[in-house]
Amino acid sequence: MNVLTGSADNSCRLWDCETGKQLALLNTNSAVRTCGFDFSGNIIMFSTDKQMGYQCYLNFFDLRDPQQIEDNQPYLSIPCNDAKITSAVWGPLGEFVNAGHENGEINQFSAKSGEILKKAKEHSRQINDIQTSVDLTMFISASKDNTAKLFDSTSLEHIKTFKTERPVNSAAISPIMDHVVMGGGQEAMEVTTTSTRIGKFEARFFHAAYEEEFGRVKGHFGPINCVAFHPDGKSYSSGGEDGYVRIHYFDPQYFDFELEA
Amino acid sequence: MGIVNENTEAPVNTDQSESDVTIILSELLLDILREKPQEADGIDSVVVVDNVPQVGPERLEKLKNVIHKIFSKFGKITTEFYPEADGMTKGYIFLEYAAPTQALEAVKNADGYKLDKQHTFRVNLFTDFDKYMTISDEWETPEKQPFKDFGNMRHWIEDPDCRDQYSVIYEAGERTAIFSNDAKEPITAEERARWTETYVRWSPKGTYLATFHQRGIALWGGEKFKQIQRFSHQGVSLIDFSPCERYVVTFSPLMDTKEDPQAIIIWDILTGQKKRGFHCESSAHWPIFKWSHDGKFFARMTQDTLSIYETPSMGLLDKKSLKISGIKDFSWSPGDNIIAFWVPEDKDIPARVTLMQLPSRQEIRVRNLFNVVDCKLHWQRNGDYLCVKVDRTPKGTQGVVTNFEIFRMREKQVPVDVVEMKDSIIAFAWEPNGSKFAVLHGESPRINASFYHVKNNGKIELIKMFDKQQANSIFWSPQGQFMVLAGLRSMNGALAFVDTSDCTMMNIAEHYMASDVEWDPTGRYVVTSVSWWSHKVDNAYWLWTFQGRLLQKNNKDRFCQLLWRPRPPTLLSTDQIKMIKKDLKKYSKIFEQKDRLSQSKASKELVDKRRAMMEEYRRYRETAQQIYQEQKSIRLELRGGVDTDELDSNVDDWEEETIEFFINEEIIPLGDL
Repeated sequence: MNVLTGSADNSCRLWDCETGKQLALLNTNSAVRTCGFDFSGNIIMFSTDKQMGYQCYLNFFDLRDPQQIEDNQPYLSIPCNDAKITSAVWGPLGEFVNAGHENGEINQFSAKSGEILKKAKEHSRQINDIQTSVDLTMFISASKDNTAKLFDSTSLEHIKTFKTERPVNSAAISPIMDHVVMGGGQEAMEVTTTSTRIGKFEARFFHAAYEEEFGRVKGHFGPINCVAFHPDGKSYSSGGEDGYVRIHYFDPQYFDFELEA
Repeated sequence: MGIVNENTEAPVNTDQSESDVTIILSELLLDILREKPQEADGIDSVVVVDNVPQVGPERLEKLKNVIHKIFSKFGKITTEFYPEADGMTKGYIFLEYAAPTQALEAVKNADGYKLDKQHTFRVNLFTDFDKYMTISDEWETPEKQPFKDFGNMRHWIEDPDCRDQYSVIYEAGERTAIFSNDAKEPITAEERARWTETYVRWSPKGTYLATFHQRGIALWGGEKFKQIQRFSHQGVSLIDFSPCERYVVTFSPLMDTKEDPQAIIIWDILTGQKKRGFHCESSAHWPIFKWSHDGKFFARMTQDTLSIYETPSMGLLDKKSLKISGIKDFSWSPGDNIIAFWVPEDKDIPARVTLMQLPSRQEIRVRNLFNVVDCKLHWQRNGDYLCVKVDRTPKGTQGVVTNFEIFRMREKQVPVDVVEMKDSIIAFAWEPNGSKFAVLHGESPRINASFYHVKNNGKIELIKMFDKQQANSIFWSPQGQFMVLAGLRSMNGALAFVDTSDCTMMNIAEHYMASDVEWDPTGRYVVTSVSWWSHKVDNAYWLWTFQGRLLQKNNKDRFCQLLWRPRPPTLLSTDQIKMIKKDLKKYSKIFEQKDRLSQSKASKELVDKRRAMMEEYRRYRETAQQIYQEQKSIRLELRGGVDTDELDSNVDDWEEETIEFFINEEIIPLGDL
C-alpha cells in the first residue's frame, strides 16, 4: 500500500502507507502539480509546472524498474508547450492519462507513446480539479469558468454540465448515487470583496442526470478548495481556504431524496 | 468663360544647364498661376434675397448696413443692387459674392432667416431662377421611394398574456437581450451580440430602443426590432427623448465648432432630419434641455438666462431668452406647461421660487424664502403638486434645517404649505399618481422612513414613521400605493416592501449588494439587480412581486443593466376603467384558471424534460457498464488476480476485530428479591 505525493518543493515522493516511511524521492526542476498511480499501481505519473524557465512536463515512471527511480529517469516525459497541466487522472486501465490544462483544454495522453490520443475543449477557463468516478469510467472537471463538466474517460465525450455563479475549485462523483458535489468560491485574493458573512461558502449538490442543484451545505467561511466522497458514498469531506476540513455524514433523507420525474 | 490656360506660360528650353533653372521657375510659376484669381462667371455668384423690408431713402443706409452685416458672414460681397420703384426699395435685392461657393453658403444659411416678425428672408441663387423658368411642361412622375414598413410598432403591447418587456445588457456589454417577463421564467424575444457599444435607452412610450455607437445612435422597433432610424453624431455619449417621441436629443463632447454648433443636436425621429444644433460647455446635468410634457417646448438654463424654444420651428419662444439673474435651477411641470425656477438671495432681496405659465410667461405664483442655502424641485408625476425642498440656515443658528414647501397646483392661487423636518434628508419621493410622499431622513444607523399625506384642506398629515431603517432610496410603484425602501450598494441590498394604504411592511428581504431597483410599468413586478458595473461578482437580477415575494433569480454572466420597456398611455377612458374594476371578480376567476393550467403545464414540461435526460443518462451508463464488465479480466490481471471491483469484493482479505469499550453504567435497584 503506497502513497504518492507531489509538492512545490520540487519533488515527488513515494511512501509506505502503513509505516509512513519514504520509499523513493524524485527531484524535479519545478513544482509538482498533480500525480497518481495507474490501475495496477506499478506506474506513476506526475506533472511539473511551467516555472523559472522550465517547461511543464508529464512524467511517467515504472516502479518495477528501480533503475528509473535511482537515475531519476522517467521512461516517458511529455512536454506541454502551451498551457500547463493543472490536474490529471489515469484512464480505467492505465493506457492513458486525462489531463486538464490552464486554458480549459483536456488532453488524453498515451502512457506508452506520449502522443495525444484525444482532445476536448469544453471549458473556457482554467481546469482546477479532475476526479474520476469510482469505476474510472467517467471523470468530472471543475473549472474557473463557473462550471463542472462530466466526461467519459475513454472517448472524452462531454456528457453533462453543472452551472454555478462562482468558480468551481473541486468536484467529485458519488460512488453510489447519481449525484455530484462541487465546491468553490472566489479566488483567495478576491475574498475580501465578496460576502463577509460567516458560512457563506457552500458545497453544492447536483443531480448528475438532470444537471439540477438540489442541495447546499453551509459551514465553510472561506472558499472550498477540495471535495471528496467517501468510497462507501455515505459521507463526504470538504477542505477550505479557512483551514478547516469538514466531514459530513448524510441523513437517511439524502438517500431517499428524488426529484420529481 | 474666363479660365486661364496655364500651359501657355511655361516655356520649353533645350539648353542643359539653363533648362533646370527654367523648369524650376516654371513649376513655381505654375503654382502661383494656379492661385490666379479667375474671372468669376457672373451669374454663379449672385444671390437674390426676397422679403427685404421696403424702405424709403432715409432708411436705405441703415437697411444696407443690416443686410451687409448679415450677408458678409458668408463671403466678400463685391456688388449689391437694391432695385427701387416710386422712391421705395422693391423688397428684393441682388448680392454678388467673390466666388460661387460663397453664394451657396449664403443660400444655405440665410434662407429662412427671420429678420423680424414680418420679414423672413428667402435667399436663392440667381441661376436657380433660370432653372425654374425652364422647367419642362412635361410632367415626370417622381421616382417612387419604397415604403419602409416596420410592421406594428406597438406589437409588444398586444401580447395575450400582457407580458412586459425589458432589456438586459450582459457579458460586460457584449450581449444585449430583450425578454418578455413571465412569472415562471423570462422568455427571450431578441438577443444580439454587440447591439450597442455602451448602453441602451427606451423611448418614453416604449416605441423605440436606442443603441449607442461610435458614429451615432440607432433606433430599433417593431416586432423584430428592425432598425428604424440612424442619427450620425460622432462620439455621442448621452441622449434624451421628447415625451411625445417626436424628437431625440443627442450629445457628443467631440463635435463642437465655433461656427457650427454640434455638441447637442435635436433630431426629428420620423424623418431623420437634423433640426438644430447647440453648443454645450458641460454635460454635467444631463438633460441640458428639459422638455415640456407635451413636447411643445424645450428649455435650457445658462448663466442668468432661461432659454425656451418651441417646436417644430426650433426657434426661441418670442425670439428671446428670459433674463433671470442668478437662476439656479428650473423644471417643467409634468402635467402642464408651467416652469418652476428658483433664484437665491441677492443682497436684501430674498430667495424665491417662481411658477411661470408658458407660453404667456405669466408668473402664476411667487414664494419668498429666507436664509436659503439650497433648493430642490420635486414635481408629483401628474403635476398636481410641487415640493420645494429648502435647506435653510435660520438666523442666529449654525446648522442647516430643511423645510418642504408643498405647492398645491390644482387649487386657485396655488396655496403653499410647509412641513418642517428635524433631521437631514436622504431621499424624497412623491407617490406617482397620488397625494402622498415618502421621506428618508436621519443619519445612519438611525434612518427613518416617514409617510405624509397631502389632504384637500391643506393639512399635511404624517401617516406613519418607521425608524431604524436600512434604506437610502425610495422606489414607488408607477401605479402608486406600493413602494420599496432599498438600501443599495453600501447598505448591502436591504429591501422593505411597503403598502402605503395602511403603511404596513408587507415583506422585508435582501438582495445582497443590489445596485438597482426597477418597477415594471404596470406596478406588478419589481426587479432588484447587482450590476457588473458596480460589483464584479454575483451579477444577477431578481424578480419579485409587488408584495415582496421572490419569484426568480436570474444569473447572467457579467450582467450590467436591466430596463423595463415603458408602456404608452392607456387608450381606455376613465369610464371604461371604472367598468373593468367593477367586473374585476369575473376577470380574476378566468385569470386564476389560466395560471393554474400554465403551472401544471410547466411542471409537466419539467417532468418530461427530466425523464428524457434520465433515459439518456441511463443508456450511457449501461453502455459504460457493459464495457466495464468486459474489461474485468484485464483488471484482474493488472492487480495480480485480486478482485477490487466492489468495496466488499475481497472480504477474505479483511481482518475483523471486535472492540468493546465502556460507555455508561446504570445501577438499577431490584428491590427485595
